Amino acid sequence: MFEKIEIFRMAQAMAVHAGARQSLVAQNMANADTPGYAARDIKPFQALYEGGEASYAPRATRAGHLFGETGAITFDPLVDTNTVSDPNGNSVSLETEMLKAVDVKRQHDRALAIYKSSLGVLRSALGRR
Amino acid sequence: MSDFSNSLSVSASGLKAQAQRLRHVSENIANADTPGYRRKTVSFETEFGGPDASGRVETGRVNLDRRELEQVYDPSHPLADETGHYQGSNVDLMIEIADAREAQRSYEANLKMFDQARQMSASLMDLLRR
Repeated sequence: MFEKIEIFRMAQAMAVHAGARQSLVAQNMANADTPGYAARDIKPFQALYEGGEASYAPRATRAGHLFGETGAITFDPLVDTNTVSDPNGNSVSLETEMLKAVDVKRQHDRALAIYKSSLGVLRSALGRR
Repeated sequence: MSDFSNSLSVSASGLKAQAQRLRHVSENIANADTPGYRRKTVSFETEFGGPDASGRVETGRVNLDRRELEQVYDPSHPLADETGHYQGSNVDLMIEIADAREAQRSYEANLKMFDQARQMSASLMDLLRR
């Protein structure tokens, strides 16, 4: 029941987004010296949230459905095109990745803080404080 | 949760690859004066196409630098030929130091990512506490 509350869903989606982005940043950093590797990224959470309803692709909303996306949140990584690549074709810049990592960490902390404080509100409404 | 464990394992693979590279750099530097020694290099490859396309990095096979060996003039050297030259190594210390510095920088970045993923999952677990 509680996962249907909008603020919880939003905080959860934000944390999941931060986790996915963290995974990509780690991947970029690990491949910072791999020849021919192109840096990947996903859209910021705000863009996904605002444009989230624009996708008209079929969706699988029940376990019995054959086609379409399932309910799990997925992010498709995009290749960053406006970065300059090294002579060996690698386009990872450690500085940019570091900034992204800080961004991700802050977003994750923010999402968890929102979740926690809403949980506090819920708990005090239940009178178990 | 699998995002974090994936992130941790990718960072760990990066750490391992950079450490491997540093190992070969130190081997090159140690053998900078060995006659006939060829500089060793490792290449990095992305591990793709697995079941989950994890994007881990791994080191490829070790290659020897094909550059010509340095000719050192020293007639008293046991390996010297009739002209008084012998073949040294083709290690350039400047390149090795720069390589080592780059490896260190990438290693630190990976370590930072590892630590961050750990912190993030720890703060997620903290939600369970009251």
